Amino acid sequence: MNDNHEGREGRVHPEIPRLADELAAGRLDRREFLRFATLLGLSAGAAYGLAGLRSAAADQAVPKPGGSLRISMRVPDARHPHTFSWVYDSNLVRQVNDHLTRTGPDNVTRPWLLERWSVSDDLKTWTLYLRTDVVWSNGEPLVAEHVIWNFRRWLDPAVGSSILGLMKGYMLDDVEGERFDEAGQPILTTRLWDANAIEQLDDHTIRLNCKTPQVAVPEHLFHYPAFILHPSQNGEWDEDAIGTGAFRPVEIATGKHAVFARRDGYWRDGPWLDEIAFIDHGDDPAAPLAAIASKQVHGFYEGSTLQYHALQALDHVELHSRVTAQTAVARMQPAHKPFDDARVRKALRVALDCEKLLQIGHLGLGAPGEHHHVAPIHPEYAELPPLGPDVAGAKALLTKAGYPDGFETEIACKKDPAWELITVQAMVEMWKQIGVRVAIKVMPSAQYWDVWTKVPFGFTMWTHRPLAVMTLPLAYRSGVPWNESGWANPRMDELLTQAEGTLDLDARRTIFREIEILMQEEGPICQPLWRSVFTPMDKRVKGFTLHPTFYLFAEEWWLED
Amino acid sequence: MSAFLLRRLGFLLITLLATSFLVFAISEFAPGDVATKILGPYATADQIALLTEEMGLNRPMPVRYLDWLGGVLSGDLGTSTLFKQPVNEVLWGRLANTGLLAGIAFALIVPFSLVLGVVAGMREASLRDRSISVASIIATSIPEFASGVFLASIFAVWLGWLPGTSPLSLGGDWSVAQQLVLPVAVVVLYDLGYVVRMVRASMVEVMRAPYIRTAVLKGLTRSEVIFRHALRNALIAPFTVILLQINYLITGVVVVEAVFAYPGFGRMMLDAALAQDIALIEAGALVAVVIAVGTQIAGDIGYMLLNPRIRVR
Amino acid sequence: MSAASALVLFHAVARSLLLLRYSPVGLLGAGLVAFWVIIALFAPLITPYDPLANDYAALADPGPSAAHWLGTDNLGRDLLSRLVWGARSLLAIVPLAVAIAYLVGCLMGLAAGYLGGWVDALLMRVSDIILAFPVIILYMIVLAHFGPSAINVVLAVAFTAAPQIARIVRGLTLDLRNRDYVAAARLRGERPLYIMVAEILPNTRGPLIVDSCLRLGYSTIAIGVLGFLGLGLPPSDPNWGGMVKDSYALISVYPHMALIPCAAITSLVVGFNLLADAIRELGQND
Repeated sequence: MNDNHEGREGRVHPEIPRLADELAAGRLDRREFLRFATLLGLSAGAAYGLAGLRSAAADQAVPKPGGSLRISMRVPDARHPHTFSWVYDSNLVRQVNDHLTRTGPDNVTRPWLLERWSVSDDLKTWTLYLRTDVVWSNGEPLVAEHVIWNFRRWLDPAVGSSILGLMKGYMLDDVEGERFDEAGQPILTTRLWDANAIEQLDDHTIRLNCKTPQVAVPEHLFHYPAFILHPSQNGEWDEDAIGTGAFRPVEIATGKHAVFARRDGYWRDGPWLDEIAFIDHGDDPAAPLAAIASKQVHGFYEGSTLQYHALQALDHVELHSRVTAQTAVARMQPAHKPFDDARVRKALRVALDCEKLLQIGHLGLGAPGEHHHVAPIHPEYAELPPLGPDVAGAKALLTKAGYPDGFETEIACKKDPAWELITVQAMVEMWKQIGVRVAIKVMPSAQYWDVWTKVPFGFTMWTHRPLAVMTLPLAYRSGVPWNESGWANPRMDELLTQAEGTLDLDARRTIFREIEILMQEEGPICQPLWRSVFTPMDKRVKGFTLHPTFYLFAEEWWLED
Repeated sequence: MSAFLLRRLGFLLITLLATSFLVFAISEFAPGDVATKILGPYATADQIALLTEEMGLNRPMPVRYLDWLGGVLSGDLGTSTLFKQPVNEVLWGRLANTGLLAGIAFALIVPFSLVLGVVAGMREASLRDRSISVASIIATSIPEFASGVFLASIFAVWLGWLPGTSPLSLGGDWSVAQQLVLPVAVVVLYDLGYVVRMVRASMVEVMRAPYIRTAVLKGLTRSEVIFRHALRNALIAPFTVILLQINYLITGVVVVEAVFAYPGFGRMMLDAALAQDIALIEAGALVAVVIAVGTQIAGDIGYMLLNPRIRVR
Repeated sequence: MSAASALVLFHAVARSLLLLRYSPVGLLGAGLVAFWVIIALFAPLITPYDPLANDYAALADPGPSAAHWLGTDNLGRDLLSRLVWGARSLLAIVPLAVAIAYLVGCLMGLAAGYLGGWVDALLMRVSDIILAFPVIILYMIVLAHFGPSAINVVLAVAFTAAPQIARIVRGLTLDLRNRDYVAAARLRGERPLYIMVAEILPNTRGPLIVDSCLRLGYSTIAIGVLGFLGLGLPPSDPNWGGMVKDSYALISVYPHMALIPCAAITSLVVGFNLLADAIRELGQND
């Protein structure tokens, strides 16, 4: 039990014993204990031991080497991994390059290229200890310098990585840039908040000195673009990429396919497969379905609700599914009428029957939304009485706001994936009942992401994050880049800052209860549902577990005869 | 003849300029900007400003058009914002794949349409003519998506005789030939009926001509009349129509390629249009126009050669 | 519409109907078209449900049932109602697009053929340029940029069809402009516009009726394809191509969702094409 949960300084984080007491007293769920104890630097094995659970990683089956596997997934350009904006791009690179950490399907974050980490009591000083046995595919050992080069690149505003937005709060300061916008105002840019923010202690030890307390650093290191690339390649990634991963690229044909072969000299066991290939079938859900039905592929990156019943009927296919905090929200910009009135926003929420939306939009797979973006699987989740459906109540709210006969508006929505458009259509039908007539403006995905922070009313997907305290500050704090609705509420900002600095889970849940109520009363979103995601795999594929964010780790898989 | 060719090539150039400018102008009206498309949804205002400056995107549209045109003249078709690589690296492979599909379809359409059309047109209003005509009309009336969906569900999903998608390489245990059957079938089914109708119409017209009647009156057998006199003249008119099918087969097969996930030109153009990838759309449009006008010119020349009495303009 | 052209139209229709009696295939075509036209006209009376209303009870078993004769789609919406309303939107959009194309195309063709000279050269070069551009690619570019809407679809279809009509009308005009009655009108001092519209245009009707029938067929397919590619109409308007797109992944379990709209669009296009063929044959045998 005492394997390596002590830091090099011979101490555990003072919060851990308290968490263990909470666990023992039954005030803390085991899963939540695991999540927090590991974040604070306790090894997953130790944490599972303390929680009295067996680690899911212990699988008795013996992997069988050899074979080649094909997955249906879009194959976009992948030359600049640090600027990826989709998970599927990152799944190409993920076979060749690694993250410092891995958050498993159990939402527990474990060290990967790291051996372990430790954090100061005030959650501001994070010490990352690199493994000493990691070898790049060019034979070089992985050292702290390489990792620091990657950190600096992630946080360089000229690169344009979404990691910058994630870490901005605790690693960066806003400064005025050299360029000016149309109004002649200098455009804001960022720089490290302190010259010593990223510090090298020795060849295998790095310290992050943060501006503000932050509990989720190890999970941020698993953000999809947060790859450790070889510095000699200058952030570019192609068929000659040098990696620490189990495979090497063989052929990358953007828009068609990508092929990877197992590499020699991998620093861990495996991989078992000789080859893993990704085939691009386009956006149409029928094509991958036809491909798996005729055994042209073994599985998909993600199953679509339009395929579900057809996939169930295929004998050679197993459907893997997972409860997640994946969702999409119909967000309204208070800067535009009629959404400037909080009662209108609430009326649109109250009119929705989220049980039915879940049924129709996601085949009942998932949980109904509660319009506050805190998922039942989030440890911070506090249960509130249901908000709707209440057509009369919604109409009353509209009348008070001066719209007794409703109003007309337009919602922007992506064309793919199918469940989003289906859900929007069902919501529009429900809004009709309170006199709100909503036209649907369907856009190709690329167009939607051009305007996602600009349209007055739009339906935006949000990916799974293990903690609510990771999602809400990104989306609902005043003025942050991903606050797509532009909703600015001082009380919300205060609560979010409080939550980020509060480790005690009960206290945090109390804060979140207030956040949830605030979101329901005044917030900018209607949230129809939480998605349980699923994907098909040929039954011969073993070792596959569906990750809640669709990350694929082909080095874990093998093919049975 | 050479004056005719020169005039036609001049027209091709004007068409290329006009269409490329039109496409450029359309993209001006689209929401969003190129820098955001390249950088993705999480780009900051500063990065967008930087890239816009670097790429010269803040220059007026005509200047950017001329800049692009200069690139095209030197063989540089620009960089695709969707694939993030030079258009030259994306375009030609896709076009070759579609060429394969089109080539096979064309090789099937020509003989079948000639035989069926001639057989139908030989005896106008006969039962054979009626059945071939009605079958052709029905075949051309089935949209490609309907026949694609229908054939795929029967042969790929239900019977399992053929693969459901055609990625060509990495298609599983199915050969390229097997992968090509369904897409080719859908294209041929849709296009064949039209060409059969054209051949039949021409044949009917020739059979009504006085010199055929004369030949019959002279006592020649039916097959002698058809093979010695009618056939050659009946095939002149459909010649252009048949050549024009090349145009449809290469630039019109978007639906088939989407249904069967075929990595060709049509699916590339669909993706490019959805992603508003202006460089790729422009390049595809140029290729399409060259093919369209090129087949027209080839058709006219062939027509003149086949029928010396005709002078095209 | 002037009395003269109404009379011409009536005459054409009456003659066609009369002569269709001799062509069973043509009658079948006319019947198919008439069937869908009637369905479209009376859509509000026929449809048992709102085409957008979700029947949550039908989600578990969307197949045909007593409540939903043709079953429901994957959103629990009544397929029969969607089919009928789809016919209504299709049969509003297609003829509108073709009518606009004819309006523009006839004017272009008449002007080019009758006036000749630089007008002819200019109009025909512009048509050639538009015709050189592959239709489906043009649709994709335009609709992906301006977004799916009925107006955009109508304009896109009309834009590509007008030059084709212009060419046909120009050819006919070149032939007709030297006829005696045209010369007589010119001597009477009629204005060119009057001569073109009142003297020449009515005499081009034979080939144009056949062409318009065929064009209604192509345009139906084109709009179906756009719906299938997700570029046609916004999802609030039920449309046949879109219905196929949204459900053909499920064809192995719920074949009715995709096959019924496929059959519908095919039958309508078959109708237009058989009708065109019969009218053409009648014209030849005149």
